[in-house]
Amino acid sequence: MTSAASRMPDPKMRLSIFRFDPERDAQPRMQDYEIEPGATHHMLLDVLLAVKAQDSTLSFRRSCREGVCGSDAMNINGRNGLACITPVRTLRSPVTVRPLPGFPVIRDLVVDMTRFFAQYHSVTPWLVNPEPPPEKERLQSPAERERLNGAYECILCACCSSQCPSYWWNPDRFVGPAGLIQAYRFIFDSRDRATEARLDDLDDAYRLFRCRTIMNCAEVCPKGLEPVSAIERIRLKIARAGGDDGALHTHPPIVPR
Amino acid sequence: MNTTAFTGIRAWLVQRVSAVAILAFLVFALASFWLRAPAGYAEWRSRFENPALQVATLAFSAALLAHVWVGLRDVLLDYARPAALRRFLLGALAAVLVGLAVWTLAIVLPLAA
Repeated sequence: MTSAASRMPDPKMRLSIFRFDPERDAQPRMQDYEIEPGATHHMLLDVLLAVKAQDSTLSFRRSCREGVCGSDAMNINGRNGLACITPVRTLRSPVTVRPLPGFPVIRDLVVDMTRFFAQYHSVTPWLVNPEPPPEKERLQSPAERERLNGAYECILCACCSSQCPSYWWNPDRFVGPAGLIQAYRFIFDSRDRATEARLDDLDDAYRLFRCRTIMNCAEVCPKGLEPVSAIERIRLKIARAGGDDGALHTHPPIVPR
Repeated sequence: MNTTAFTGIRAWLVQRVSAVAILAFLVFALASFWLRAPAGYAEWRSRFENPALQVATLAFSAALLAHVWVGLRDVLLDYARPAALRRFLLGALAAVLVGLAVWTLAIVLPLAA
C-alpha cells in the first residue's frame, strides 16, 4: 500500500466496524481497524475494501461504487449514507460503521431487505393502464413529466426508510419513505389510470399516516430527494386539496461526516 | 375499540382543523380575560350565560378531545406493544375522553338552562 502521509495529517485511519457472524457469535461486537489510506482511497468504500483485503471475513454489499446501485448503504458515524460517495477526508475519526438501523442483520454490514422490498412492491410500483397502448408510446407533456422529477431518481438504497423512526416501529404496516416516494411517482404519473385505487390503498391508519414528518428521510437521502414532500402531496391528493405542484423539492445531498 | 372508524385522511384532517379551533379559542379566551378580567364568581358566571360563549366552549372542548384522541392514538399505535396492551390503552383513553366529554356537558349545559 502506498503511503499518503504527505496529504493526510493522521496517516492512520481508525475504523470501528460492526461485526456479527450468526454462525459463530452470540452477540454482535464492534471491531477496531487501522488502515493507512492510499492515494486512491477517496471514498469510504475504498477504505472498506482495503479493510477487507486485510480481514477477508468482513462482509458488506457493494456493486457500482459510484452511488447509482444503492448496494453499500450503511450507517456511517450515526448517519445513513452510501460508502462509495462518502469522502474519507471529511470523516470524523474513528469512523463508526454499522449496518442500516432497524433492519435484521444477516452478517456484519449486510442486512435483510426482504421486508423493505415487500413494502416497495405493495404500492404497485408500475404503470397500471388498461387502455390499448398507442402505436408508438404514451406521450406526456413536459409539465406532466416534470411531476416525476424528485421521485424517479430514487435508487431504493433504503437509507431513508432505515433512518425513519415511524418505519422502525411499524416496518410491517407502514410503507416507509422509500415505498411512498415510489407511490407518489405512480399516483402523479399522467399515464397511470389506477390513481383512485392507489390513494384508497394508502388511506388507513398505518400505510401512509404513520409518517409524522420527522424528515430524517430527506436528511439522509444520498440523492438529495425528499420523500417527506412526496408523502405530503399524497395526503393533500387524498384530501382533494391539490398536491400537484410540479417537481418535488430536492436539495444537495448531505454526506456523513 | 374500533381504530379504523376514525382514521387515515379523516383523522389527519380532524387533527389539523381541531388545532386551528383550539388555537382560535385560546387566543380569544386569553385576550378577553387579559383585557377584561372577571372581578369575581358572579361576573364569571354571568359571562358564561352568553349562549355564544357556551357554544364556543363546547366546540373548543370537542376540538380538544378529538385532537387528544388522534394525537395519543398515534403515539399508542407507534409505541404500545403487544397488540393486547395497545387495545387496552386505546380503550382506556377512549373511556377517559368520553368521561371528560360528559363532565364538560354536565358543567356547560346547566348554565344554558
